[in-house]
Amino acid sequence: MLRVESINVYYGAIHALMDVSLEVGQGEIVSIIGSNGAGKSTLLRTLSGLKRARTGSIQFMDQDISETQACDIVSMGIVQSPEGRRIFTNMSVSENLQLGAYIRRDAGVGKDMEEVMQRFPRLKERIKQNAGTLSGGEQQMLAIGRALMCRPKLLLLDEPSLGLAPNLVTEIFKIILDINAEGVTVLVVEQNANRALDIAHRAYVLETGRIVLSDTGKALLTNPKVKEAYLGG
Amino acid sequence: MVHQLLPIAAVDFNTLPQQLVLGIGIGAVYALVALGYTMVYGVLKLINFAHAEVFMLGAYTALFTAWYLGFSPQSLQALERESSWLNLLIMLLASMVICAIIGVIIERFAYRPMRSQPRIAILITAIGVSLLLQYGGALFLPVSPPPSIDERVNPYRGAYTITLSRPSDRLLGQKEELERQYQESNVAFEKQLEKEKSRFDLSPQGIALRNAKQEAERALRKVTDEIAASGRELKLPRGQMIMLGATLILMLILRHLVLYTRTGRAMRAASHDFDTASLMGISVDKIVTVTFIIGSALAGAGAMMQATFIGTPLTTFYGVSLGVKAFVAAVLGGIGNIPGAVLGAMVLAIAETLVVWADGSKWKDAIAFVILIAVLLFKPGGLLGSSKVEKV
Amino acid sequence: MNWGVRAVSIVAAVGFCFLIQTVSLGFGADIQRLIALAGLYVTLAVSLNLINGITGQFSIGHAAFYMIGAYTTGYLSIQFLKNSGMPGPVWLLLMMLAGAIMASLAGLVVGLPSLRLKGDYLAIVTLGFGEIVRIIVVNSPFDVSFFGVFKFFTFPNLGGAYALDKIPAIRELWLIWLLAVVCIAVCRNLLKTAHGLAFLSVREDEVASLAMGVNVTRIKVTAFMIGSAFAGAAGALLAHYETSILPSTFAMDVSFIILTMVVLGGTGSITGSALAAITLFALPEVLRRNKEPVTGGTFLAIVIGVIAAVVLIRWFQNEYHGSKNKKTAGYFASVAASAIVAFGLTFALNAIPALHDKAFEGSKLRMVIFAGSLIIVMLIRPEGVFAHHEFSWTWLKKVLRIKPKSEALAT
Repeated sequence: MLRVESINVYYGAIHALMDVSLEVGQGEIVSIIGSNGAGKSTLLRTLSGLKRARTGSIQFMDQDISETQACDIVSMGIVQSPEGRRIFTNMSVSENLQLGAYIRRDAGVGKDMEEVMQRFPRLKERIKQNAGTLSGGEQQMLAIGRALMCRPKLLLLDEPSLGLAPNLVTEIFKIILDINAEGVTVLVVEQNANRALDIAHRAYVLETGRIVLSDTGKALLTNPKVKEAYLGG
Repeated sequence: MVHQLLPIAAVDFNTLPQQLVLGIGIGAVYALVALGYTMVYGVLKLINFAHAEVFMLGAYTALFTAWYLGFSPQSLQALERESSWLNLLIMLLASMVICAIIGVIIERFAYRPMRSQPRIAILITAIGVSLLLQYGGALFLPVSPPPSIDERVNPYRGAYTITLSRPSDRLLGQKEELERQYQESNVAFEKQLEKEKSRFDLSPQGIALRNAKQEAERALRKVTDEIAASGRELKLPRGQMIMLGATLILMLILRHLVLYTRTGRAMRAASHDFDTASLMGISVDKIVTVTFIIGSALAGAGAMMQATFIGTPLTTFYGVSLGVKAFVAAVLGGIGNIPGAVLGAMVLAIAETLVVWADGSKWKDAIAFVILIAVLLFKPGGLLGSSKVEKV
Repeated sequence: MNWGVRAVSIVAAVGFCFLIQTVSLGFGADIQRLIALAGLYVTLAVSLNLINGITGQFSIGHAAFYMIGAYTTGYLSIQFLKNSGMPGPVWLLLMMLAGAIMASLAGLVVGLPSLRLKGDYLAIVTLGFGEIVRIIVVNSPFDVSFFGVFKFFTFPNLGGAYALDKIPAIRELWLIWLLAVVCIAVCRNLLKTAHGLAFLSVREDEVASLAMGVNVTRIKVTAFMIGSAFAGAAGALLAHYETSILPSTFAMDVSFIILTMVVLGGTGSITGSALAAITLFALPEVLRRNKEPVTGGTFLAIVIGVIAAVVLIRWFQNEYHGSKNKKTAGYFASVAASAIVAFGLTFALNAIPALHDKAFEGSKLRMVIFAGSLIIVMLIRPEGVFAHHEFSWTWLKKVLRIKPKSEALAT
């Protein structure tokens, strides 16, 4: 479904991603783990078209998207829930969800909104509320709900567990599994390697801009190198 | 330091309401221009210095349209014409459309290539564009003598008069009585005058009649003055009323657009966060273009109304002082905040009016800057803005 | 650098100033005046560069400090010069000091808001400050009172909207250029010291410099005070050179002209500011002297040529990933190609009667060229012609020997 072939991304003179290649198959959950500054967010930004790769190619459903504008990539079905949630704090919860469905002009938006509410009952209670007043967990749910509003084919999640209490983290990962079960392909980037590998079909380890390991999620969970570096020994 | 008790400056509370009416009319124009500053700032975080020049070009567009519609000095000399509301509407639309186009061109060719540069570089570009339009425009547009839109293009001249308080019936009765007395004494004196040999050498009877006439005249004048002082009226210039009405309509449209439409939501999203907005599939370039269209069209509307209904002569520096004031209004209301811009514009216009009323027009232009500096020092977020101090 | 070199530099600088004075005496009064004004603009540009380029505080009201210096000292000279009995140059030095002090006090007042405001907000405050100063002068004399009740004092008559004239003439060209040299020296030496690094760090990242223990507040206010002091001293020299000054001499566009000089020269480069000041000052004079008006066709051809050059250069910058030398060659080629196109178009367009008959006076094009160059520089080289580079002997050697040293370093 998504095929990234040896992309190189720079911030000025800083080489942020070096020859990164990866693949995401239809219906999979793929995790990318790595520490701070490894280039995880840069990778997702590049996939979403917010950052350009200087060399290499990105193919989505057999179409090259490495030169496509960010807004057109969304219409193709790649939707990202960015790091730090980035909800529109000056707007209401319902407006945030409506913005998620910005590219859609069909009549199903209302129905999908109902579905998101069912998935996240807490959002329903706060539908008219200003999104800035939500708690961290609720904001994360809103961010995911907002991404779901445009019926993604591929959902990119950047650090969905960042700054959340452990019980909420469990809830979020359960939701990711649910979404995947409904047929959405998910690419999740995480520092919380344990959980991310646990739910992933396949996973990659990103270190200082390079992919250093790739295997199934379960295999990586037991990989001694990964254990030492990311799972606390 | 000399402490010296001076009489309180000549403030006349009777003229205040009239001044305020005029002030609110000016405030409407400030508001229309301030909206452009605030919207562009909201989305691009850029003080669009060239906005004032867009305003200036809007005024020129209105002028040329008026000429085209047969209200140029030459054609008015040749034949007398009656204008209609349709002419005003055509001028308004022409100004709005041309301004929108100019705004989009400026954004596309001067600001968009700079988007990835530091903000100061874009600001310098904006200053450059502003100067280029001021001085470059002077090469091509008629500037000397400064042309102005002929007031005859406006079919709604004059003013509505509202009587605030009426003189008492007693005074009016007195006036009637005194008028009659004056007429009588006048007639008597005129008759006597015919009998006299010379106007300058009156007989004692003539002198007595003349004194009686002068007495009656003095009493009448006194009562007339009293009536004038107790009866107050407010003149509402019809042009200004149209301005206010049109501004209100435009603002309601804008409010609806921003709050309840898909594009409006996208605009708010883009002004919050460019990257996240594009992750929603919003084309940021398109939204920026829309912002420039709306902001510039509003400036065009303001320019047409100012040039037509207030009628100051045009030069290519027409927008400079107004532009700075509208920007102050935007900052005062909280830059990036749409209702704030309108509020700020009204507060500024009223403050200016009060200054003019209390102390003459000497300090009129200074008050805007004093307010600006005070706001930035004590409430940098503006009246309605967040109190967050800006980080670059 | 040892003391010997330093002493030689100082002597050379002073000698240079007297040389300018001697040379200019050979010319007529109007050329002398131009040389004087050029020196003043060098001072203004370099001092604004200290605020804008080096410390990164975006000020667009520099003419206000120039104005404060000019009006303060003009007024003082009219009042007191006769009674003081001092020789002209000594009095002028005293006045430069007075102008500098007044302007730097004003700089303090403007610098204080810059503690809270950043970027474009500060720009607007400085612009507003400039306008307030101008309005105060235009409205003088007036009573300062508490709502018309308590009269504190009467603000002196500075000529209002008309000129403040009959300022005693003290024309010392060497002093004008000495001020420029001193201004350059002060800025340069400031940058060579640890203090200078603090200024630069404030420009680069305020929060980080705060964390490094830099007193950001003090640095900003100092920059404003030094920068405006030089502008004030320049104002003093202007007042005594011109003997009559108007509020419109210091209008907003003067601030913009000074800003253009700094931006064009390269924000942060003293060399750039000084050279841009001289070039941009000389340019309009050349235009004014050229009595022949520019025809519409020529004007249009030049505009098209410039646009073509900008588009081509931007294309090379963005799309062409060749070596540096090839890119430079590309830039030259695009400028040359555009020049040829413009030259050809000049003849073609002037053949059209309508364009040939429409003529522009050179002097009216002055601000258009300023504004145009401001935009062009921003589009193709936002860091300015010199960027942050400075003239130095090592740099000159490097250029002349076509960098054998850097190659040695590279290998």
